[in-house]
Amino acid sequence: MKLRPFLILLAVMVLLAIPWLVSSSMLNAAIQMLIAALFAMAFSLLCGQAGMLSFGHAAYFGLGAFATVHAMNAFNGEGLLPTPLLPLAGAAVGLVSGVVAGYFSTKRTGVYFAMITLALAELLHALAPHLKGTFGGEAGISSFRMPAWGFGFGTAIEVYYLTLFWVLLAIGLLYLLMLTPLGRLALGLRENQRRLRFLGYNVHALGTLIFAISAMFSGLAGALQSLNIEAANYAELETHVSTVVLLNSFIGGVRVFLGPAIGAALMTFFGHVTSDVTRVWLLYQGIIFVLVMMFLPRGIVGELVERFSGKRPAGEGIRLSEMLPRLAGIAVAALGGVVLIELLQRVMSRDYRALAAGGQWPEITMMGLSWQPGSPLTWLVPLSALALGLALVLGVNRRAAARREATA
Amino acid sequence: MDQIFFALLNGTIYGLLLFMVSAGLTLIFGMMGVLNFAHASFYMLGAYFAYTLQPLTGFWPAIVLSPLLVAAIGVVIERYALRRVHHFGHAHELLVTFGIAVVIAELVKLFYGNYPVEYRVPTELSFAAFTLSGIDYPFYRLFMGAVAVAMFAAIYLLLTRTRVGIVVRSAIYRPAMAEALGHNVPLVFMGVFGIGAALAGLAGAVAGAFYTTNPNMALDLAVLVFVVVVVGGLGSLGGAMLASLLIGITNSLAVGVNFSLGDIFGIVGLGEWAGSVGGVMTMRLSSFAATLPFFLMLLGFWCVRRA
Repeated sequence: MKLRPFLILLAVMVLLAIPWLVSSSMLNAAIQMLIAALFAMAFSLLCGQAGMLSFGHAAYFGLGAFATVHAMNAFNGEGLLPTPLLPLAGAAVGLVSGVVAGYFSTKRTGVYFAMITLALAELLHALAPHLKGTFGGEAGISSFRMPAWGFGFGTAIEVYYLTLFWVLLAIGLLYLLMLTPLGRLALGLRENQRRLRFLGYNVHALGTLIFAISAMFSGLAGALQSLNIEAANYAELETHVSTVVLLNSFIGGVRVFLGPAIGAALMTFFGHVTSDVTRVWLLYQGIIFVLVMMFLPRGIVGELVERFSGKRPAGEGIRLSEMLPRLAGIAVAALGGVVLIELLQRVMSRDYRALAAGGQWPEITMMGLSWQPGSPLTWLVPLSALALGLALVLGVNRRAAARREATA
Repeated sequence: MDQIFFALLNGTIYGLLLFMVSAGLTLIFGMMGVLNFAHASFYMLGAYFAYTLQPLTGFWPAIVLSPLLVAAIGVVIERYALRRVHHFGHAHELLVTFGIAVVIAELVKLFYGNYPVEYRVPTELSFAAFTLSGIDYPFYRLFMGAVAVAMFAAIYLLLTRTRVGIVVRSAIYRPAMAEALGHNVPLVFMGVFGIGAALAGLAGAVAGAFYTTNPNMALDLAVLVFVVVVVGGLGSLGGAMLASLLIGITNSLAVGVNFSLGDIFGIVGLGEWAGSVGGVMTMRLSSFAATLPFFLMLLGFWCVRRA
C-alpha cells in the first residue's frame, strides 16, 4: 500500500495550516504539543528502541533549555547565534551532557540503569538552586528573542513555524536514524545485549551513543521551550518533567515510531483544554498510564497499529458486538470516575474546607449542574456509574472468554 | 564529642527507620525481581492514614490500624495490578509501580493538599528521654528506634523459626521449586507484599509524626531506600539492616561536616585556583546535604556489581 506518504503529506499540510485554523491560545498549546512530541520521541529512542528505561530525562531537557537562554543572552543580548539557529546550542549541550551521563549510566543495565538516570537528574535538580550563576536561582533566567533573517520572532505564529521546522527536522532525522545500521543495533541492544556482544560490537559505546543522541534531541526540545517562553527556570529540572515525558511516551506506545509523539501531543492537548476545569490533570494522566500499561501494553497507538495492520491471526479480529458494549462500559465508568474525582477535588480544596469548618456546606456547581455534598445521591450517582461501567466491561470480557473457550 | 554522639544516635535511629521501609522492599525485590517504585508511597500512606485516624481513635489505635489499611492496599495492588503485568517482564512491572506511585502521590495531594499536614507527636510522648550537656534528647526518637528493632526481631524470628518462614524463604530463593513442592507461591507473594507494605506503613505512621508529613516524603525516602536495597544485597534482611544503619549514620554525620571541595584542593596547594573558579568549588558540604542521598544512590548503583 502506498498510503503512508500521502498520510504524512496530509499531516504536514495540516500542521502548516494550523495558525489559520485555531485561535491564538490554541496556537500556544500547539507549540507546547510540538515540543512535548519531540521530547517524547527523544525519550523513546532510548526507552523504546534501545530498551533502556530512563527516569531522569528532565536533566537533558533542562540543560538544553538553560544553554539556549544563555546563548540568547550572550554578547549583551546579541545572541550567540541568529535566533532560528539557537536550538543548536541546546542540542549541543544536550549531546555533551548525554555523552557524560550516558558513559556512566550505560555501564549498568535494567533497573540499575534506570536508578542511575534518576539519581543523576535528581542530583542536578538538588544542585541547581545553589549555582545561581548558571541556573538563576529561584527566579530563573529570562531572555528575549532577537529579530533575525528578516523575521521579528515577536508573534506566536513565527515561533510556531520555527518550532514546527525544528520538530519536523528532528523527527525526520530520528526516522532516518532508525534505517541506519546504528538504528538497527539500538533494537539489538533492546532485544539481546549479550548476543550483540558476542557478535563483536562494543555494547557500552553503542549504549552511550544512543543515550547521547536521545539527550541531544531532548536538549533540542528544551531549547525550543526556552525560545517559546523566553525564559528558563530550574523547575524544568524537576522530577515532574521526567515523569510526564515517561507517562506520555508509554501512553502513546514507545515501540511504534510516531506513538510517543502522538501520545505526548494528545496528553498535552487534554492537559491544556482541561487546565481551566481541573487542577489534577497529572492524576488523570497517572491513572490513564496505569490502565494503559495493564490493558494495552503496547500503548494506545501501538495497539491501534496492531489491530489495523492485519497481522492478527484469523478469528482474533474485532467483533463489533463485543467492542461496542465494551466501549460503552468504559465511557460510563470513565464519566463516573471523572465526576467522582472532580467532586472530591472541589470538596477537599482549601477554600471549601475553610467553609465546611465553619459549618457551611455550600452546593458545588460543576458541569452545568449543582451538587449537594451532603446528600448521598451526589456520591451514589457517579459511584454507581463507575460500578455499572466496570460490570459491563467485565461481563463482556467474560462472555468473550467463554466464546473463545467454546471455539477452541 | 556530644555532638558526634547525638549525630551517631540520630543516624542509627534514622537507619532503623530506613530498615523498616526497606525490609519489605528487599524481600519483594528478591522474590519478584521487581523494584517496587510504589513502596515508599506505602510509607507516605501510612503517615497520612495515621494522621487521619488519630483524631478519631487516638494515637495508639491509629498506628496499629494505619499499617493494616496500607497492607490491604498493597495486597490489592499486587493481586490486581502487578500479577496482571507479570508476564510482560520486569521493565513493565517497574513502570506500573511507577505509575501507581504517581497516582498515590496525586491522590494524597487531592485529599490533603500540596503542603505538609499537622501530624504531631502526641503530648504524652513528647518528653526528654535524657539530657546530655544541656541538650534534651526526645524520647520519641528512642521510641521509633525501639519499634524498628522490635519489628526486625519479629520478622527475623518469623522467617527463621517458623514453618511459614521456611516456605517464604524457599519461595524467595527458588519460586519454581517451591511451587513444584505444592506450596501456593502466588499466595506467599501476596502475603509478603502485604506485610512489606504494612511495615512501610508502620514506619510512616510512627515517623510521620516526628519528621514532616507531606506529599514529597515518598520520593525523598524512595531514593535512600533503593540505595539500601542494592547495597544490602537483594532479598537479604541482614544486609538491608547493615546498609540502613550505614546510610542513616552517613546521612546524619554529613549534615554536621562543614568543608568545601575547594578546601580539599587547598590541601594540595590549589586552594586559590579553586576559590577563583567559585561555583561548585566554594559550596559548603553541609549545603550539599540535600544532594547526599543522590550521591549515595549513584555510588550504590554504580559500584555494586549485579548480584
